[in-house]
Amino acid sequence: MTQISTFFGLQQSLRGLLAHQRAMDVTGHNITNANTQGYSRQEAVMAAATPYEIEAGLLVDGGGAMLGGGVDIQAFRRIRDGFLDLQFRAQSMSLGGYDATTSALQQVEEGLSEPGENGIAAQLDKYWSAWSAVANNPENLATRQNLVEQGRILAGSIKDLDARLSTISSQVTAEYASLTGANGDVKSMADEIAKLNQAIKFAVADGDQPNDLYDRRDVLLDKLSSLAQVSVTDLGNGAISVNFGDAATPLVNDGTVTWPQALTAPGGRLGALLQLTAPVTATPPGTIESYRVDLNAFAKKLADDVNALHNPGGTGTNFFTYGAAGTEAASLAVNVTATGVRYATGTATGSNDIAIALAKLRGAGADQQYQSLVARIGSDVKNSERLQSNAEVLTGAIDDRRSSTSGVSMDEEMTNLIRFQRGYQASARAMSTIDEMLDVLINRAGRVGL
Amino acid sequence: MTMRLSNQMLSRNTLSDLTRVSNDLYRTQRKMSSGKEITKPSDDPFGTTRAVTGRRDIEEILQLQKNVDDALSWQGVTEVALSRITDVAQRARELLVQGASDSNGTAERAAIAKEIDQLIETAKTEANGSYAGRYIFAGTATTTRPYTVGGADAYAGDAGNIVRTIGPGVSLPVNARGADFLGGDPAVAQPDGLLLTTLRDIATHLRGGTAADANALRGTDLQNLDRNLDNITSIRATVGATTNRLETAAKRLLELHESASNNLSKVEDADMAKTLTDFSLQQAVYQSALKTGANIVQNSLLDFLR
Repeated sequence: MTQISTFFGLQQSLRGLLAHQRAMDVTGHNITNANTQGYSRQEAVMAAATPYEIEAGLLVDGGGAMLGGGVDIQAFRRIRDGFLDLQFRAQSMSLGGYDATTSALQQVEEGLSEPGENGIAAQLDKYWSAWSAVANNPENLATRQNLVEQGRILAGSIKDLDARLSTISSQVTAEYASLTGANGDVKSMADEIAKLNQAIKFAVADGDQPNDLYDRRDVLLDKLSSLAQVSVTDLGNGAISVNFGDAATPLVNDGTVTWPQALTAPGGRLGALLQLTAPVTATPPGTIESYRVDLNAFAKKLADDVNALHNPGGTGTNFFTYGAAGTEAASLAVNVTATGVRYATGTATGSNDIAIALAKLRGAGADQQYQSLVARIGSDVKNSERLQSNAEVLTGAIDDRRSSTSGVSMDEEMTNLIRFQRGYQASARAMSTIDEMLDVLINRAGRVGL
Repeated sequence: MTMRLSNQMLSRNTLSDLTRVSNDLYRTQRKMSSGKEITKPSDDPFGTTRAVTGRRDIEEILQLQKNVDDALSWQGVTEVALSRITDVAQRARELLVQGASDSNGTAERAAIAKEIDQLIETAKTEANGSYAGRYIFAGTATTTRPYTVGGADAYAGDAGNIVRTIGPGVSLPVNARGADFLGGDPAVAQPDGLLLTTLRDIATHLRGGTAADANALRGTDLQNLDRNLDNITSIRATVGATTNRLETAAKRLLELHESASNNLSKVEDADMAKTLTDFSLQQAVYQSALKTGANIVQNSLLDFLR
């Protein structure tokens, strides 16, 4: 025959006190981590404790019953939506790519200094005007001197732009190398994920739920996803395997890190960096290299057009010289001195047919080529900025939704705090009520006549 | 169901909204301080192309204006020299008419012949006129003196044209050649019947003293001199026509400059009224965003619990 203990109620209240204390601890944890990056709010899951069984035949009607034993904390739940993580990482990857592209292209654009007084377009204008001045004053050596100077300035500006493109290209390459290098971000994040994998695996094996370790690992995955495409496979024991970009072997598999690896089109920031510096023969052609190809074509066209008129038949001196294919802009130079400038086909001092024909090149093929390069860079930057701000909006929207699920709300935590405080107080009150009852039973019962 | 709002989300959104509005403000401010609608190609790629073209047009027009000014000065100097040569020819005609009269004796005719000799030298001096260090009547041989004063009458210049570009794709010759009115071109069979040979003939006939000489003075010499006067007049008419054309071109370039500047300004310059309106609007938005942001971020249930 089963008896219900006199002190059963005390035990029940104690459970209530303990459970509410734990719940308040969780609330406190949430509040302190309200601004922690990647923190997922937690919740103490309360459930009625295993009931006390009252055997059959004990009750008046001969039946048995279950007597509630109070409350238990079943788990500390981490509130997180894995599907939103996937969406966030996909967006974060695009955003990382557009960020890298936009910042490199903006540097290219600054290098143009168009439209303005210092760009190549203005130098071209002055160069053609210098030819016109020679046509007006062919006898005067000073005008030819000015023409040669103007030609040098123009060639210098073209060379500078090419050098700037080349510098930007090497900066981009250096950034890629530092991110993917042996001590780079990818490697250090991968190492940390591998370590967390081990810690989580042990905790899970012990039956624990390592919420905060999960959070830390998810933050690293978020960061990694802005660098390249990341796909995560759950290994079932708490550890994960991470595929990174188009690397052949998983970057992290349980506790093993395989890095460095070759990437060709990894997506994200790394993908954008590779795309910016790819050779022009790649598909799609490398952005910066394709600008250099256009710039070279422009320099060649300018030199060829001028030379064709300055040195008809190719037997005399060229005005401009340039080097091998692919280096035209970098090697463009003025080849004549003021006395060597050829301004007329004849030898008469006042004739100026070549100078007039050259001045007519203003606005012709070379000018057009340069102009379309400027327009191309301009629309590329604009397009990239638009894509970047779109990706920012989308990433923000998904982050909002994620934060809406996992983020800490102070109002909510305060409400919970009051709720749990009151719960604790009420349990304490229940305990003292039982205490008073027992006081009557122990200290006052059976004292009749004493 | 309403969306659950976390604190991080509120502050992140407030911050990103503030960043966006202040970015807009910055852009508008830049427009105002630079006065330009387009400060970099990505502001408006197509507009940039138009701005580059506009600047090129203006630069070209400015250069063409210089060309036209140069050509006009050239024409002015030419006209002055030609008018002096006309005076010479007219003075020669007066002397010829005077000398042709049989009332003159040999001595008087010799004196007149001497003055004709002087006129020949004057005409050659005028034909050696120069502009900015260049002989204007020497064709393209601008550094060669076309006639030798006090020497032979041979023309030392060439047959070339001095060409100036006065409009997009429009070029025209701006010079008159001495060989065309004074004569003496070695490439042409002499005597060529132009002013110098005619004057030399007159001087010879004045000194000749025969009846045939006197007849020549009254007949062929007078006819030849009149023909030369007509010739110079027609060359002056050509110079005048060229001057007119240049002046018209100068006026047209002035108009073109104005319209090209207007076009560039339309593409490139900021509309101040609009920019200022945008600015105050964005400022108002920014301030209210700051105010509401400050309130939202600060307030929570925490403020009301004791």
